[in-house]
Amino acid sequence: MNPLLRWFHQLGSPPYFDRFAARWAPWAYALAILAMAYGLYGALFVVPADYQQGDSFRILYIHVPSAWMSMAIFALMAVYAAIALVWRIKLCEILAMACAPVGAAFTLVTLATGSIWGKPMWGTWWDWDPRLTTELILLFLYLGVIGLYNAIDDRRAAARAAGLLAIVGVALLPVIHYSVTWWNSLHQGQTIKLFGQSSMDASMLPPLWWMVLGTHAWFVGSLLARARADNLRREAGKDWVRKLAEPMQ
Amino acid sequence: MSYRDYVIAAYAVFAIAMAWDFVAPRLLIRRELRAARLRAVRAGNRNQSPPELTR
Repeated sequence: MNPLLRWFHQLGSPPYFDRFAARWAPWAYALAILAMAYGLYGALFVVPADYQQGDSFRILYIHVPSAWMSMAIFALMAVYAAIALVWRIKLCEILAMACAPVGAAFTLVTLATGSIWGKPMWGTWWDWDPRLTTELILLFLYLGVIGLYNAIDDRRAAARAAGLLAIVGVALLPVIHYSVTWWNSLHQGQTIKLFGQSSMDASMLPPLWWMVLGTHAWFVGSLLARARADNLRREAGKDWVRKLAEPMQ
Repeated sequence: MSYRDYVIAAYAVFAIAMAWDFVAPRLLIRRELRAARLRAVRAGNRNQSPPELTR
C-alpha cells in the first residue's frame, strides 16, 4: 500500500491519532509563537507609523490575520463536516468540531480589534456596516455550531447536526468577502493581496506575513489539541485511554 | 497621533484570546485523563470487594 495512504488510514485509529496530536501540537505552537513574536516585533517596533492613521494602523497586524483565519477555519470546518457526513469518518467529525472554538476565538478577536481601531478612525466602536455585520453573523454561526454540538448527548448525532449547520453556513463566506464590493461599505476595500500588487506599502508587509504564518501554525496546534481532547472524551472507557491515564497515578 | 492606548487594548485582546485558546484544550485533556484514571480505580475497587459483602 502507498505509505501516504497507509498513514491516512492509520490516522483514523483513535490511539494513533492521540499519539500523533500529542507529538505535533507542541511543535505547531512553538512555530506559531516564534513566527508571531518576530511578526509582532516588526509590527510594533520596526514598521514606521502610518502618515494618516498614526500608530493605530498597527492593530492591522492582528486584525487582518485573525479575519482571514476566521473565514478559512469556517471553510475548513465545512469541508471536514462534509467528508464526515458523506463517508462517516469519525476523525473528520472530531476535526470539524475542533475547528469551531478556535475559529470563534479568531472571529471574536477580529470584531474586537476592528472595534478598537474603529473608535479613533471612524469615531465609533460599532457600525451596522455590511462587513462588520456579516462577520458578527459568522461569530453567531460558530457559537451555533458549538452550542448544537454540546446540546446533543450522542456525539456522532451531535457532530452530524452541527456539521450540517457548518455546511449551510459556508454560504456566508463569499458574502463577507465581497461585502465591501457589493455594498456601499464604511469598511475599506481589499488593500492586501496574496497575488498581485497590494495597495499597502511593501515595507509594511513582512510583519503581516509572519503573523499570517504564526496564526496558521497556532490554528494547527489548537486544532490538534482540541481534537485530542474530544477524541479522549469519545473513547472514554477504552483500554488505550485507561493505559494513557495510568502513568499519572 | 499615537493612539497608543488603542493599540495596547487591541493587542491585549489578542493575547487573552490566544492564552485562553492555549489553556482550554489542555484543561479538557487533563479532565478526560483524570476521569479515565478514576474510572480505572473504581473498576479496581469493584473487583477487590470482599466476598461476604456480595450477594
